[in-house]
Amino acid sequence: MKTHSITFLPDNITIQAAAGKSVLDAAVAAGLAVNSVCGGDGVCGKCRVIVKSGKVTAKPNMFLDRREIQRGMALACQTFIDGDVTIDVPFESRVGGVPQLATEDAIRYGSISDWVGEGALFPHNPLFQKIYLDLPKPTISDCICDQERLYREIRRSRDIPIMQTGLAVLQRLPDILRQCDWKVTALLGCRGGTVEVVDVEAGDTSASNLGVALDLGTTTVVAHLVDLTTSKTLATKAKYNSQITFGDDVISRIMYGATPERRTQLRDVVVNDINDLIAGLVVDAKVKLNDVCMVACAGNTTMIHLLCALNPANIRKDPYIPAVCCPPVIRAAEVGIKINSRGLLATLPSVASYVGGDVVADVLVSGMMRSPDLSLLIDLGTNGELVLGNSDWLVCCSASAGPSFEGGGITCGMRATNGAIEHIQLGRNGDIVQCNVVGGSKPLGLCGSGLIDAVGELLKAGCIDRRGRFDPAACGGRLREGDSGGQEFLLFPSALTALGRDLVLTEADINNLIHSKGSIYMAMECLLDHVGMSFDDLQHVYIAGGFGNYLKIDQGIRIGLLPDLDPAKFKYIGNGSVQGAKMALLSQEALKNVQDQIAGAMTYLELSTNHKYMNEYSSCLFLPHTNIEKFPSLMPAPQKQTDAAVAR
Amino acid sequence: MSILDDAKEKWTGTINEVTIGATKQDGGTRTSVVTVGGAGALPFMNFEGPTPRAPVVAMEIWDREPDDWAQPLVDAFGPVLKSPADWARKCVEEFGAEMLCLKLAGTHPDFGDATPAQAAEVVKSVLKAVGVPLIIWGCDHDEKDNEVLPRCSQAAAGERCLLGAVKEDNYKTLVASCLADGHTILGLSPIDINIAKQINILVSEMGLPLNRIVMYPTTGALGYGIEYAHSIQERGRLAALSGDKIMSLPVLCMVGSEAWRTKEAKASQQENPAWGDEKTRGIYWEIGTASTFLQAGSDILVMRHPAAVAAIRKTISELMVK
Repeated sequence: MKTHSITFLPDNITIQAAAGKSVLDAAVAAGLAVNSVCGGDGVCGKCRVIVKSGKVTAKPNMFLDRREIQRGMALACQTFIDGDVTIDVPFESRVGGVPQLATEDAIRYGSISDWVGEGALFPHNPLFQKIYLDLPKPTISDCICDQERLYREIRRSRDIPIMQTGLAVLQRLPDILRQCDWKVTALLGCRGGTVEVVDVEAGDTSASNLGVALDLGTTTVVAHLVDLTTSKTLATKAKYNSQITFGDDVISRIMYGATPERRTQLRDVVVNDINDLIAGLVVDAKVKLNDVCMVACAGNTTMIHLLCALNPANIRKDPYIPAVCCPPVIRAAEVGIKINSRGLLATLPSVASYVGGDVVADVLVSGMMRSPDLSLLIDLGTNGELVLGNSDWLVCCSASAGPSFEGGGITCGMRATNGAIEHIQLGRNGDIVQCNVVGGSKPLGLCGSGLIDAVGELLKAGCIDRRGRFDPAACGGRLREGDSGGQEFLLFPSALTALGRDLVLTEADINNLIHSKGSIYMAMECLLDHVGMSFDDLQHVYIAGGFGNYLKIDQGIRIGLLPDLDPAKFKYIGNGSVQGAKMALLSQEALKNVQDQIAGAMTYLELSTNHKYMNEYSSCLFLPHTNIEKFPSLMPAPQKQTDAAVAR
Repeated sequence: MSILDDAKEKWTGTINEVTIGATKQDGGTRTSVVTVGGAGALPFMNFEGPTPRAPVVAMEIWDREPDDWAQPLVDAFGPVLKSPADWARKCVEEFGAEMLCLKLAGTHPDFGDATPAQAAEVVKSVLKAVGVPLIIWGCDHDEKDNEVLPRCSQAAAGERCLLGAVKEDNYKTLVASCLADGHTILGLSPIDINIAKQINILVSEMGLPLNRIVMYPTTGALGYGIEYAHSIQERGRLAALSGDKIMSLPVLCMVGSEAWRTKEAKASQQENPAWGDEKTRGIYWEIGTASTFLQAGSDILVMRHPAAVAAIRKTISELMVK
């Protein structure tokens, strides 16, 4: 087969690639993370690269205008190598930067000591334990076998009726016991209902017992290194999920993972991310990787399938059946996670295809299943998940919100990383009064919270109407004709931005956000309607998800994403996913609670067949809502005038 | 003593009354005006509440000679189709039309591309020719309508015409004209009760009061989604009667253009011998469509064939008998 050399700039990485291979595939092979929302189907237009030299064949597409094509711009997934080529991967096409971690300040709701430990909700009883044993030496009258001797000693301090041990441990056991004069540390890991003697180490190693709590998100992967003995978090890290190259959302990844080879590829990519994070955590905390023996992972159903290289195809096919909701505890090395070679991987159970262990973790952290008060939990992301209930019952649903909360599908949208506008305040004519940029640099784009702020502020300033269309008279000089037709609002001219590109907001962007927020609000109404209740019955609203932390409640209400309730009823729970995983890691009782009282007790409501959702969705495609009486605090004065005019 | 409970509905809402046309006294030149709305119950259910004003039929005329109309329609009007003013006069004087709907079809870029000035002249000529109130309808091409309708609005200033149609993503220009020239406006929504309400909100938030707006929730002809269009219209009316002020507006239906678009109305007897005489088939189709929408609560029916118009006006007068 003919191969060509392909060089990627500015990294200056050269690889050999087969003729006819797509530039996107070559970039993946070169280890470059190129943005691709659609996973290479040529329908998202995000994988823009510049062909600097060499011969390629490009399929026609509708994303590039003539000027761009003349400049050598091409879509990586629709451009195929025909000779030695040099390709520039511009900054905006890269999956780059480090996601914003929910800082301790952002986790405004509780800490781990409120949940696990003495006097807390759950006892401290980690999933993985190390116990030091000084075994009585065998004698002619105490002649039980080595394994029985080990079990007997363990049972002296622990009530463990069923134990298991792998052959590998048994093969080493006699020598270890005798070499270290019967003083050993037994490593015990919970595997479902039983306890495994995972390993036996010489001497007393019980002082260092570490675990990793993992939030395996579609967009970001967050890892916390936890001391299982003290419950302390030793280090935290986050990075973008490298599977993004194969699609932005779970559906495009499921579609990509159509063959076993591709599923292996998807798994390897995310396991690499996990290993990078864990290696970094271990360095930061100055501990030994070998002492990390347990990973507890919370993720949506699809991400867990992909982590285990399970076929996710049926998740997106009616009637939406996952391969597994509660995967067994397995050895971490089986999927390639690098911790102690005998270490274990536990995952939090899912409820259904679109309500995963991440949501279950959110519920655990919110504590809503322990209170008689009616609570609503919202996890905002590409897929919005909602849980309603109290200590007696839980109902959940999932609403496809689209990628706009993550900055996707927005002209100048981006993830919440360096350069993202996370908050913005506008004045008359849409003039910028104040603007917060992640990392404090010049702005590069708008992330979800920035977008919500911008739309909320434009509405407040009268620059857009309630359908999200610009009012030229109220926009000062900031409104102009966009390249692709339609009007756009200039937030920052190129001179003030990080990439020298004008930062604009189009009516299509606003419309995307309106559709996203509408689907969440409608899902909330359907869930409440399903149980015969209304927003007024809610005592608490918990907002979860990385993005949720940065959402301003008043702006969320102004655009109609959140119900018009007393702001005091809203609580942020931060990254509930990683916190829930941590609770499970530190308390077997917490994990059991998750399995029995949360995942096992949750009723799933399918919205795709819900009549109310279908009939009333369009009423939510308005700011804040077609029926303004649902948002009494936002009743506009002109409406009262109109009523008065009619009365006259 | 009755065994059954009284099943009559008690409604809390009333449909706004909207007056189209202005006489000399009100600053216009019309010799008659039309007021629609005012209903306090579902149509013709006098035992539940009043239907104080009979639905009105507006006859549809064009600014250019239609080239795709079915033969029975062409035959009904004859040579006046070439002149909007003559056409208007014939509708009023011969067929007794109470209101006219002037469709500026010839302004569409693909079908004549008449200039705004030409369209304004047509409007003036029709206003001069007849004394009944006028609906002025664009060519359903947003950009062109935004050029043409403001000029026509100016040309008809003070006449309190019904201008249309505005959509949720194209309304500002036309609403501004309406406000300036004292007209009423028609809000189009694509068979969606929520979008219908959204348009009313958007228009009224620009300062046009709710008694100067008529809703057009889109019409489907008999056999072409009429059930859906009927049920959306009825749901809107139920919301209004239940107290939703923003939905309490009169409703217009485009009966003629929809009914005469169907193959059942247009096909010749040669093509489908079993369908019966083509001279009357389209008329019946238009009557069938119109009488259905009367039951959904339509206040203005825009119709084409004089025979269908006469039949529906008879139906209305019979239904209005208390």
